Amino acid sequence: MSLGFVVGVGKTRFGPTSRSMVQLAQEAILGALDDARLEPADLDAFIVANFLGGPNDSQLHLNAVVAGLMPGLNLPSWRVEAACASGGVALHQALLALRTYPRILVLGIERMSGVVGTALTRNIGMAGDVLLDQAVGLNFPASYALVAQRHMQEYGTLLTDFEAVSLKNHANARLNPRAHFYHKEVAQADIDGGPTVAAPLRLYDCCPVSDGAAAAVLSAERIDDRSVPVLGSAVASDAISLVQREFHTGFTAAREAARRAYAQAGVAPADVDFAEVHDCFTIAELVAMEDLGLCAPGESGPMVREGMTARDGRLPVNASGGLKAGGHAIGATGIGQVYESVTQIRGEAGERQLDRARVGLTHNVGGVGGTCAVHLFGGDRS
Amino acid sequence: MTCYRCAACGRHYAYELDVCTYCRVPLEHTPGGTASVLAVTRVDVPSLGHEDVPYWCALVRDESGCQALVKRDVATETGATISLAAVEVEDRSVVGILGTGTMGRGLVELLLSRGHQVVWVGRSDESLASGRQRVADRLARVMDEDELEEVSSRLVTSADPSAFIRCDLVIEAVVEELEPKRDALVRAEAAMRPDAVLATNTSGLPLDELSRSLLRPERFGALHFFNPPSRMRLVETSTCASTSVETAAFLDDFSRSLGKIPIRIAQRPAFVVNRVLMPLINEAVRSLEEGAASAESIDEAIKLGLNHPMGPLALADLIGLDVVLSIMENLVERTGDEAYDPRPLLKTLVAEGKLGRKTGEGFHSYR
Repeated sequence: MSLGFVVGVGKTRFGPTSRSMVQLAQEAILGALDDARLEPADLDAFIVANFLGGPNDSQLHLNAVVAGLMPGLNLPSWRVEAACASGGVALHQALLALRTYPRILVLGIERMSGVVGTALTRNIGMAGDVLLDQAVGLNFPASYALVAQRHMQEYGTLLTDFEAVSLKNHANARLNPRAHFYHKEVAQADIDGGPTVAAPLRLYDCCPVSDGAAAAVLSAERIDDRSVPVLGSAVASDAISLVQREFHTGFTAAREAARRAYAQAGVAPADVDFAEVHDCFTIAELVAMEDLGLCAPGESGPMVREGMTARDGRLPVNASGGLKAGGHAIGATGIGQVYESVTQIRGEAGERQLDRARVGLTHNVGGVGGTCAVHLFGGDRS
Repeated sequence: MTCYRCAACGRHYAYELDVCTYCRVPLEHTPGGTASVLAVTRVDVPSLGHEDVPYWCALVRDESGCQALVKRDVATETGATISLAAVEVEDRSVVGILGTGTMGRGLVELLLSRGHQVVWVGRSDESLASGRQRVADRLARVMDEDELEEVSSRLVTSADPSAFIRCDLVIEAVVEELEPKRDALVRAEAAMRPDAVLATNTSGLPLDELSRSLLRPERFGALHFFNPPSRMRLVETSTCASTSVETAAFLDDFSRSLGKIPIRIAQRPAFVVNRVLMPLINEAVRSLEEGAASAESIDEAIKLGLNHPMGPLALADLIGLDVVLSIMENLVERTGDEAYDPRPLLKTLVAEGKLGRKTGEGFHSYR
């Protein structure tokens, strides 16, 4: 049984822009409404997912800011924050709320380009624990670097496996006009020349920070043959810092969310045709594949090495370019993944359309696995 | 080591909590012994509060399963064993502060909040009592009654310098004039243990002169904090000809232990910050004298035009106009350069007792 349907999706390009938060929001909202052939008055509620409006732009209360784009509607609305998983968590909430509000718009939005340097590193670090992580200088890349170190020790994962993820996602982004690095050709030489950020992670192991917005209209009922069913939706959390966990080569929250989502959908990992996973760092994509059961623990490196996750591989991962090359507009990322999945399942992905895209999975992580949202889409669309 | 364990169920918490969420029994704090490094990353990107790169972040675990994240400024290898012994209050250096002026108070506040025991010596019991109250008022903004009581228990005040016998370090922060400072340093040193370090908070008087009458000049140097010490991250450290290498290193290490960034300055008049600042303030006063703009507008222009957080006249008011005047006069005397001559308006305000924030009026009014 479907939990609800995605009936419309919209997304701005992810990447630096001079456009304001409300301009980005409006573009994504209009895109989703047009895609669903709906008007603002057809909505019953909306949810705004955002991470750094406060620290970066001194702007909180974003649901009311967005209400200013729909004057006179006075809809029920609220804002959701769960660091980089804000979008996935908002989607989960919307599905739960469909019983009360049959048509809900979920908007993910982030502006990152207004703040730079150490201040931005600090703000993004707010996704970690201020005392346990920030106080000892464990910024965001450093946290993932520790996961990478543990993964390399435990499974013999290679630096070239990280590079393979980067090269694949950059290649995919070249087919996605809404990707941050759509125009940027990245070759092995670029990766080799990248400076170390937090060993072993180098520049091309890290996603960029992007401005952007993405929106999805959810409906309790199918409205046309382009409506895409949501088969499973789960969120799980874990203690925020790596220091609070005994398991460091994956994320328990992701495994738990995946288990619940698969069970709800009645779908097994082997049924998944493609996945959009949270590759904020290359290591994160490898860990995601294992946490989602798309391969056994320790098998992600070999799988990427053999090209099995490329667009023409057995299980395409991040055909959009992922966060790595598609861009990471933090609060919008989880909804951006929905945009890609729905577009692929409908067969509307143009140049980057996958051959087989019946069941899609999205995996959206907050912090270093403190929150994880997993969603399954598609299946029988008739 | 951030590890709190429930004796009943064995769960670990990384936060200082009163009870286990499941068992509701008090948690035991496991003091750090040694732990082995599970993973380590060399961090090459700076962030706020961690500007100096590279540094190493290690995830470590001890035998009981307690984990910690530690920042190290030396390369650390996976599998290595490192000590996690927390620095307890009794292990921290006991610091003496001489002087109850703005900087004396600010330093006492900083040191207490960083866990040190403090011996505060001033000229009179009255000034010390009033200083203690003002420090307590400041700390009460960020602490509850119990914390305040604990912090206050670490502060001893005395009008007699012999109280410095307990100290590992004494920082002199009396009036910024050569003779009074020299006398204060001699009196402090006479009361101190031979192995203790004596530092002056001078903003740039010649250290060779200040150290002339000391018995142990090798254990003397400058720790120039900025006002307010609890918020300003810079410490200008400086040494004189006789300062030992060990003392010089201690000055930097001690500054870092307070979360400050030490910058070593050669023994030049007014060090660097004041050397650059004084002409700026003096020119702002000249602009005010010449009627270029009001004090408010001059400060606003500098804030906007130079991206300073505070205008030079407001900053002079914060430092104290008598202190500013004294630094400028000293600069003229030591450099022989009349360009540093304090402007007449500054002298007038000081003569009228308008010394800035501390008297309620300076270039601006604070009433």
